[in-house]
Amino acid sequence: MNIIKKPSWLIDENEVTPQELFEKRRHFLKLGAASMIAGGTIIEALAKDNIPVPNMQYIKDKNLDNLKLNTYEQITTYNNFYEFSTSKEKVATMAQKLNTENWKIKVDGLVEKPLELDVDDLIKKFTLQERIYRFRCVEAWAMVVPWIGIPLKEFIEYVKPLSSAKYVRFETLYDEKQFPDQAKGIFAAIDYPYVEGLRMDEAINDLSILAVGLYGRAMPKQNGAPIRLVVPWKYGFKSIKSIAKISFTDKEPLNSWQKANKREYGFYANVNPNVDHPRWSQKRERVLGKFFKEKTQMFNGYANEVAHMYKGMDLSKYI
Amino acid sequence: MKRVLLFTVLLCPLFFALYELFILQNVKDPIKYIYTFTGATSITILFITTSLSLIKKWINLIPYRRMIGLFGFFYAFLHFMNFFILDAEFDFAFVVEETLDKPFIYLGMIALAILIFMASTSTKELFRRFNKYHKLLYLALVLVTIHFIMAQKSLSVEQWGYLVLIAAIVFAKVNQVRSKYKKY
Repeated sequence: MNIIKKPSWLIDENEVTPQELFEKRRHFLKLGAASMIAGGTIIEALAKDNIPVPNMQYIKDKNLDNLKLNTYEQITTYNNFYEFSTSKEKVATMAQKLNTENWKIKVDGLVEKPLELDVDDLIKKFTLQERIYRFRCVEAWAMVVPWIGIPLKEFIEYVKPLSSAKYVRFETLYDEKQFPDQAKGIFAAIDYPYVEGLRMDEAINDLSILAVGLYGRAMPKQNGAPIRLVVPWKYGFKSIKSIAKISFTDKEPLNSWQKANKREYGFYANVNPNVDHPRWSQKRERVLGKFFKEKTQMFNGYANEVAHMYKGMDLSKYI
Repeated sequence: MKRVLLFTVLLCPLFFALYELFILQNVKDPIKYIYTFTGATSITILFITTSLSLIKKWINLIPYRRMIGLFGFFYAFLHFMNFFILDAEFDFAFVVEETLDKPFIYLGMIALAILIFMASTSTKELFRRFNKYHKLLYLALVLVTIHFIMAQKSLSVEQWGYLVLIAAIVFAKVNQVRSKYKKY
């Protein structure tokens, strides 16, 4: 006779917690932790706006400059994302169709070994940090955004570029099915894919981050989900959205706006109130939600952190 | 009656903008919004003014040309006031500096000067003396179109469509003038 005797550790299938629920529990715990971490500035602003609480875990920014945050609504409904539309108001709705699941970033060029990284996996490898930054568009509007991201320096150390790499080149996803303006051919607003670049010292500057969220939540699609660059001392167009490729090179990358109009946009695009755009003044800025304009600061207020990188450079020439 | 109706229609853009700005309050960047809105309205009305002679056969609005033209000026003036009051915050020196420095702005200013001249000589009496100079509107339209193109970071499909429409009006106008000269 063959009697099956269960060992004590073997429990019935129906007693096992499904993996999905198990993970939800961990997610739930994280949420609790996040709300403890977040607190302060963000919670206040969120409560006022009636926005769901943060669900990411990150190290809080102490906001030493006492910057007043723009609302979640302002940040997520006024977006330059030409792949969808040149209308800043239309992007928020149009971008919802973007599929950011299983997003991959290709890393190539002068690296020890070319990689393809899954963004979700990538995010788990780093401790996320909140960075409350001023964000200044070349069009002279501005806002303050509490980004969540990975220091670009840590990412670069992780993918191991060769010492011959002098520049980092970023590229937005090219997919005509998802980005209507990319399908417009000669009527497209600019050449795609969108390209941006940084000198290596700029890339490893402490201020540079790869942002994956804002207001403690995953990056909204209209703001460049799932992962985008944020370099707060430069005009907004340098902070490239929805990155699909990062390459290391020894030549200065030709960024999209420089390619479109060399006289008006350069490679550096440092915020500089003393050098006007050929068509409009850069002396002051319109901070969204404020009635009076404010003076624009050199390097957008980050001169202490970045000015040393441009010593000896004629900033009216290297625009 | 027709005049009142037309007057109301031409005021609608202003009411629409005020509604968005103060009632809905959904405008994120008011200065930019007012620039775009008043600029687009003004250029549209000015091109309509010059097209009235083209559509005379079907609908004769020539008796209202002065009023329509004045509305074109009115929105252009709001456009300028946005620059002076909200953007420059009454800094007269800044306005002059910017105007001299940036081609895009001085082209607009020259066009505005033409419109001011036309508006101030549009009374019956003055018009008799100055109407031959009112052909300056064509120069203003050229300047305003360049000003509009230069204001854009890049032209959208809609804006290309707008330019095609402008080109069609220019083509029709040139044809009209040519056939007039042939007659004599």
